[in-house]
Amino acid sequence: MNLSSESTGWQLFPTRRRSRTGSFTLRLTSMIDMFTILLVFLLKSYSAEGQIMTLARDLRLPQSTATLPPKTTSIVAITREWVLLDGRPIVRNSEVLKSGELVIPSLLKELQDLRALTEGIGQLGAASDFAGNITIQGDRATPFELLKRVMVTCGRMGYNDMNLAVLRTE
Amino acid sequence: MNLKAALGRSRTRGEADVNIIGVLNLFLILVPFLLLTAVFVKIAVLELSLPAAGRKGGVATADKPAILNILAVEEDGFQLNSPYMSHAKLPRVGESFDYKGLQDQLKAVKAKYPESEDIVISPASSILYEVIVKVMDTCREAGFPNISLAG
Repeated sequence: MNLSSESTGWQLFPTRRRSRTGSFTLRLTSMIDMFTILLVFLLKSYSAEGQIMTLARDLRLPQSTATLPPKTTSIVAITREWVLLDGRPIVRNSEVLKSGELVIPSLLKELQDLRALTEGIGQLGAASDFAGNITIQGDRATPFELLKRVMVTCGRMGYNDMNLAVLRTE
Repeated sequence: MNLKAALGRSRTRGEADVNIIGVLNLFLILVPFLLLTAVFVKIAVLELSLPAAGRKGGVATADKPAILNILAVEEDGFQLNSPYMSHAKLPRVGESFDYKGLQDQLKAVKAKYPESEDIVISPASSILYEVIVKVMDTCREAGFPNISLAG
């Protein structure tokens, strides 16, 4: 009984008390309470399908009451500084706004390559054919001028079905 | 007398414990599993399609002579235009736009033309994306699900 106190030199519990009760029990009630609350909260935020879309980093999506689930398409992201296509930076926002034309040439070229690739895969007999779907993730402070130019560029290349990604609020 | 004897006996034998080790094991497994699969950011999409092969939306949708509602979003407020109705301009109050007033006006249009579902939003260049999305939400909730953007 006194082995630990003799060998280590300090006592976890006073010896008298220990010898009187013989054994001790952990008080787990509050821990179980915590686990129960955590469990309920996590079950509420459980989703079976997981996250389809990855968000670009320098970006805050606007909030919306939309409920449509996102699809797996290519993603044009308009962050605070760059326009990205599938995660690759294409052109700076300031350059887009500086130029006078409505179509963004560098983005148009990348979209053309993407479309050629998708159509090539479709011709090989894979399931995915070119459907003209594209998802646009825009930062909430993007001016409409920039959004318009990106959308016009997408439309010019045949991506007519645009999905605007938003954060869902209940 | 009897009660006192019973109490005394229970005290000498100690309190009864519920065996919670099984529940605890279950929790310890479930909590990490749910933490891994939890999705904290829910993403949805707003669908928006351009008329095929066209550059801009808006006036190009001439294939059906639907009731064309045009909502201009300017820096200083909303201006809704619909056929044979005149709407007051909804001024911007400080930082926030008058979404409530817009909803009322849209409902009035919906009451007059119940079959109308199309609306064209025409924002000014400097309007923020956040505002556009909110306007689109307002239109959808008021019963105009076919939204197009015109620049």
